[in-house]
Amino acid sequence: MKNRLEDDMEENKTMKNQFLFMKQLNLLILIYISVVTFFGIRGCIEGQNALEFLSAAGKLPPGQWNGLLLSVGYYICLLILLSLKCRNNLELFAKVALEIIVGVLICDMVYFGYAGVILLILADAIQYAQNIKRRIFVILAACVIYLLVDADLVSAVYPVIPLETMWMYYDTQSKMMLFVILKFLNALNLFVFIYYMMVLILDQMSEKKRILLLNEELEKKNEQLFQYAKEMEAVTQTKERNRLAREIHDTLGHALTGIITGLDACIMLMDVSPEATKKQLSSIADVARQGMTDVRRSIKALRPDALEKIKLKDAIKQMIEEMSQSTGVEILFDCDTELNYFTQDEEDVVYRIVQESITNSIRHGKASRIEIHITREYNILTIRIIDNGIGCKDVKHGFGLHHMEERLEMLKGSLEYDGSHGFTIEAKIPIRWGEEGKHD
Amino acid sequence: MESRMEPLQKKTIIKWIVWIALFVLLGILASGHYKKLLYGRDHTITIGVFSDSYWEVQNGYSYRILDDAIAAFEKEHPGVKVEYTSGVMKKDYSKWLAGHLVKGDAPDVFFVLKSDFNELSETGTLMDLSKLIKQDDEFATDDYYQAALLSGKYLDTQYALPYECAPKLMFVNKTILNQEGISMPAEDWTWDDFYELCRKVTKDTNGDGVTDQFGLTGYSWKDAFRENGVSIFSEDGSSCHLLGEDIEAAIHHIERLNDLSNGYSVTTKDFDHGNVAFMPMLFSEYRAYKSYPLSIKKYSGFEWECVAMPAGPDGDNVSTLDTLLLGMNADTPHEKLAWEFMKQLTADTDIQSEIFDYSEGVSVLKDVTESDETRIVLERAAGENVTMNPKVLGDVLDHAVAEPAFYNYDLAMQQIDQMMQDIIGGDQNISMELIISNRKINQYLKDMQSN
Repeated sequence: MKNRLEDDMEENKTMKNQFLFMKQLNLLILIYISVVTFFGIRGCIEGQNALEFLSAAGKLPPGQWNGLLLSVGYYICLLILLSLKCRNNLELFAKVALEIIVGVLICDMVYFGYAGVILLILADAIQYAQNIKRRIFVILAACVIYLLVDADLVSAVYPVIPLETMWMYYDTQSKMMLFVILKFLNALNLFVFIYYMMVLILDQMSEKKRILLLNEELEKKNEQLFQYAKEMEAVTQTKERNRLAREIHDTLGHALTGIITGLDACIMLMDVSPEATKKQLSSIADVARQGMTDVRRSIKALRPDALEKIKLKDAIKQMIEEMSQSTGVEILFDCDTELNYFTQDEEDVVYRIVQESITNSIRHGKASRIEIHITREYNILTIRIIDNGIGCKDVKHGFGLHHMEERLEMLKGSLEYDGSHGFTIEAKIPIRWGEEGKHD
Repeated sequence: MESRMEPLQKKTIIKWIVWIALFVLLGILASGHYKKLLYGRDHTITIGVFSDSYWEVQNGYSYRILDDAIAAFEKEHPGVKVEYTSGVMKKDYSKWLAGHLVKGDAPDVFFVLKSDFNELSETGTLMDLSKLIKQDDEFATDDYYQAALLSGKYLDTQYALPYECAPKLMFVNKTILNQEGISMPAEDWTWDDFYELCRKVTKDTNGDGVTDQFGLTGYSWKDAFRENGVSIFSEDGSSCHLLGEDIEAAIHHIERLNDLSNGYSVTTKDFDHGNVAFMPMLFSEYRAYKSYPLSIKKYSGFEWECVAMPAGPDGDNVSTLDTLLLGMNADTPHEKLAWEFMKQLTADTDIQSEIFDYSEGVSVLKDVTESDETRIVLERAAGENVTMNPKVLGDVLDHAVAEPAFYNYDLAMQQIDQMMQDIIGGDQNISMELIISNRKINQYLKDMQSN
């Protein structure tokens, strides 16, 4: 792909260079003819041959300096016209028409002895005519004009002094030399023009080939994409199933654990203190209700409800409050950093890790005290959850830990845990700094 | 957004101004109007003139009339200066003028030799005067002799005004006529009269058996054609008509006259020696050599006079007119002043009457040529036995014709002349020869036109 671009640019560059060269060559030829004519006329006047010249010419040539100034002036006009860019067909038509008028005026200034400027106009116009029909039309029109702008043909309708007459002052040998130089320059211009057209046509042909190739490639890629989409669908399905299972586990499981533990306590408390039992029961009811909401939300959007309305820190605090109230476990929350620089999924992960760890500590570790520390060091957020429960010598990868690891992996984070003295979980999440500013 | 638009608009406006300026500049340059801008305010007009006489006689008054005209003009137009380059001879004048025309610094008003007129008109160097004539109420074309005015016309367009002219007249050796007891021919004499006179004078006077007194010399088929009302070319010179009885009659007339000299080719030298009775000559020559002291140098051995040309059976006593013209540079930035000065030279009676004082030509204005003052001047110059009445001169001028004006007239005439030389005196069938010639000349004209 890169190579092709370079090729393109190179081709463009050569074409531009050719066009530039043609422009300069034409200027050179015009100046050449004008200067030779200038000195030819001067020679005629000084050599007292003006009468012979006048009778051979049949009409008065433009003033000595006029011819020189006008041909260069017209040429500058033409260069300006050539540099104009067109936005629509009307502008293009106007531009080319004006160019042809100026071109014919220039031809008149060089006594129709040179018509190369018409080729210059053709070279410019052909760039615009992209489709084949228009291109053929432009080429035909320009060729007709190129052929018509010939001294012999023009003289049939408009008196033209042939260059031969304009240069009659020079003797036969030098006149021949002068004409040979002109013929050579003319041929050079023609040659560059043909080369230019060839490059243009070759370029167009290679472009067509390349488009064909690209088309084929595109088709292949499309098929691949289709296959990939099919695979993706299956993967997504599995992922979504897992996510659903996780959500059920997280919400319903969490609530039910709280309820069971609370109810166990109630059974024991009921005889001792009905008052306390009542209080406990209402807490349990709260947990159940929260669980209900969670389930609803899971069904609806599968995303933590608390987080939808309030900030992450407040949501965690609220969750801890509810947990400690419903289970009677002492939960310490220590957070020395603001947590408002996360995206939704990151927030979800942080919330879920805290929630899952508390559930695990209560359900499996039978802990009575849980400490939660959230710290930030540079761009790493660390969540440490320590409990005083029975711990676990041989940590089984239950659903909870496994899911935690999965979620963290998605955020390029890591998870470490230790069950020798109570149970300690440490999760590290890299903070995406780019996001920080947005949230701050 | 607005503040951003402003400089953009400014830029486009500047771009457009530059564009328009470039086009206007080129337009001015291309149309030649730059001369008006450069020199339009400068009130100096230049005149192109040659120093010697158009009639090729030495007279010593080279710039006299022009100087008087300039003085009068500058008096009438204060602040205006009229200049001319002196010292250009008539033989160099065409080259000199062409050089300046090609160079682009030709005078605003210049004299035009009749031989250059067609070429200068064709090449577009002369201003078309029709518009100026139309706009100018003071200017009356009727004041001029029509043939003189017509000399300044090229393909129906008035490119020049006549300045002075001279008709072609028949010079008569009065001494011979007197010796033979013949009176001067009448003003309305015919070919038959002419032939009769020639026949009478052609003889061997000294009795050595060789004819030594002749009827005429220098009389060509062109004179005969004109006198018989023949016009060879169509007006634009695209075709010629060499067929018809009038032409054959003219050829017979020439052949009949030639036969009188019995094969001897009579030259102008014979006339100078007093041995020829008739020779066509321009009126300017008559004036130049009639007056003292130039008359001593030439034609001293005999008395001579001039009459109108004889009339053919289908024509009139018609003569051609040689005219010195005055044209305006088509590129002049001082069109108005140049026109005024042209009128000063050609239409002012005071200046025009000076032609009879300081030149050998004839004024192109009827009022001047046919006035009493002119008669006095002519009488004084001609000496005692005068016959040239200005009224007669006026008649001749009224009947004069201008040569047709088209680009290749001279070349075409050369061709016809060549053919006529062959036909006249040849023993072929004249009608047949004319048909062939006619076809050849027409082909030639066609070829020239397409080039």
